[in-house]
Amino acid sequence: MSDGTAVEGAATRAREPAAGTGFLAEVWINFKRWNLKAIRNPFVVAGSIIQPIIFLVLFTQVFGGVASAAINQGPGPSINYTSFLVPAIVIQVSLVAAATSGIGLVNDIEEGMFEKVLVSPMRRTAVFAGKTLAELARIAVQVTIILVLGVLLGAHIATGLLGAITIMAVGMVFSLWFTGFSNVMALLTRDQESTIIAANIIQFPLLFVSSAFLPIAALPDWIQTISKLNPITYGVDAARALVVQGWVWHVVLRNLAVLVALDLVFGAVAVYFLNRASSAAVE
Amino acid sequence: MAAIEARGVEVVYADGTEAVRGVDLEIPEGEFFGFLGPNGAGKTTTIKTLVTLLRPTAGDVTVNGFDVRTEARAVRRSVGYMAQETSVDLELTARENLRFACEAYGVPAGERDGRIDELLDLVELADVGDRRADSFSGGMRKRLDAATALVHRPPIVFLDEPTTGLDPKARNRLWDYFREINAAGTTMFLTTQYLEEADRLCDRLSVILDGRIVASGTPADLKSRVGGDVLEVQLDDPSPERVAFASSVAEASGVFDEAVRETETGLAVTSPEARARATDLLVDLRDAGFTVTGLDVHSPTLDDVFLALTGAGVPEDALPAEGVAP
Repeated sequence: MSDGTAVEGAATRAREPAAGTGFLAEVWINFKRWNLKAIRNPFVVAGSIIQPIIFLVLFTQVFGGVASAAINQGPGPSINYTSFLVPAIVIQVSLVAAATSGIGLVNDIEEGMFEKVLVSPMRRTAVFAGKTLAELARIAVQVTIILVLGVLLGAHIATGLLGAITIMAVGMVFSLWFTGFSNVMALLTRDQESTIIAANIIQFPLLFVSSAFLPIAALPDWIQTISKLNPITYGVDAARALVVQGWVWHVVLRNLAVLVALDLVFGAVAVYFLNRASSAAVE
Repeated sequence: MAAIEARGVEVVYADGTEAVRGVDLEIPEGEFFGFLGPNGAGKTTTIKTLVTLLRPTAGDVTVNGFDVRTEARAVRRSVGYMAQETSVDLELTARENLRFACEAYGVPAGERDGRIDELLDLVELADVGDRRADSFSGGMRKRLDAATALVHRPPIVFLDEPTTGLDPKARNRLWDYFREINAAGTTMFLTTQYLEEADRLCDRLSVILDGRIVASGTPADLKSRVGGDVLEVQLDDPSPERVAFASSVAEASGVFDEAVRETETGLAVTSPEARARATDLLVDLRDAGFTVTGLDVHSPTLDDVFLALTGAGVPEDALPAEGVAP
């Protein structure tokens, strides 16, 4: 049995709460916890990148020849399909990683950790910022893997190493709106399977009805129309400009502007639902 | 200053459910206080209001002198809370769970390792401290959960039905820790539907039913309301007719008057005379042709208290009884 030192002196400190922690320290605490959880789940982390890798390898091998013709219709230097596809796969891994954000939240709600964190003195914004940053760190790692693999398969990144880092940033900016979406799904369904299914159902149509796998000009009219409303197109176009064209800032920034606007809208909705869940349904 | 002070607390959920309808509490520092009631009586809603997870619809609450509405962070820093549902991160080890709690509550970095070791010792998880919590039994998870609520040495600890679902051995262990924490000066606020648990642990109790406190006092006070000791008699033939007849025999003896109650197996008599007159009752029953197969005289339990307060006992479906006046 313990000597009870762990509980000694509690009564004498009645009006003297534990020292407060700074905002950034609180972000760091939560960032560490979510990274630790990711490391403990190598299958989830690896599993979420395997499908994009399969896409990258199979699409370049199977469609490479046919697609090269489509992507080299216009004027300008000819490019290989791998270079064309790599930015799309970067956006795909960002999308998949963002989808797991809501799954983590549901898991936390089911394990009671959500409430445990809410009853702690940590600021709620710091709690969610730490979790989101851990997810962004994962995207950085996964995008790096895709870029390295892409280069090994013959892709050429026109903007070089600095461009690769910028592409990573594009993936992160792209991911946030879907992070917001998946957290809203998590809070609405409060169920892991529903959250996973919702993310999966939406993932493939979004990818195919966009500029991801073929140039928009090569797609049927109705898909062209929809793809212009599809966030994937803006993420892919920004990343692809950096791979294929070079430092074409006007293209990159124009697409990023759309993504940032989307991030703000979905982020605001997610914050609204998170606040509602945090303060519970009491009038 | 009281550790917990609540005046006229009402909590109405968005769907209109009135979970708490005017609760007053004044809990002095160092007390082991129990909140006793069946499922759905408003215990969890009250405790969540006290730890700032819910905002009271009406009324005033201070915890450690801090207002739960305007000084929520100060309240959160100064309390430990163990939720009804076990709350540990199953992917982390016991030690990592405690470390996260230390960081979340701002325990100074230099004190963390020592604090974690002490708490692992306290809840007897030191030898499995580096194992992941998903390999733990339910009882071990509960103990880890309890330890994480103590990392910042809070002056008040809230325990929401902490032993629900545990086997008797695990329950006894937790009770030991709670007594130890309380003995060190910590104010304890416990909710429970286990009447025995409240009886064993608490200095003072309030009984809550349907969102209102229907009785308060020491366990002894509440037991005295029952009106004496309880004598239970089991009959070989507990058919309704035989039991009704036995009941009339007991009443006709002139000793027990209205204290006789029919049970599923026979009779129960609640009376200050229960011990002294038990033999007389047995003789009367035998003379009337009954075979008594079991006999038990005991001090009133809190189950009996419930029966006395509500006239219905703890409802089978654990929902509050209808029409109980405060």
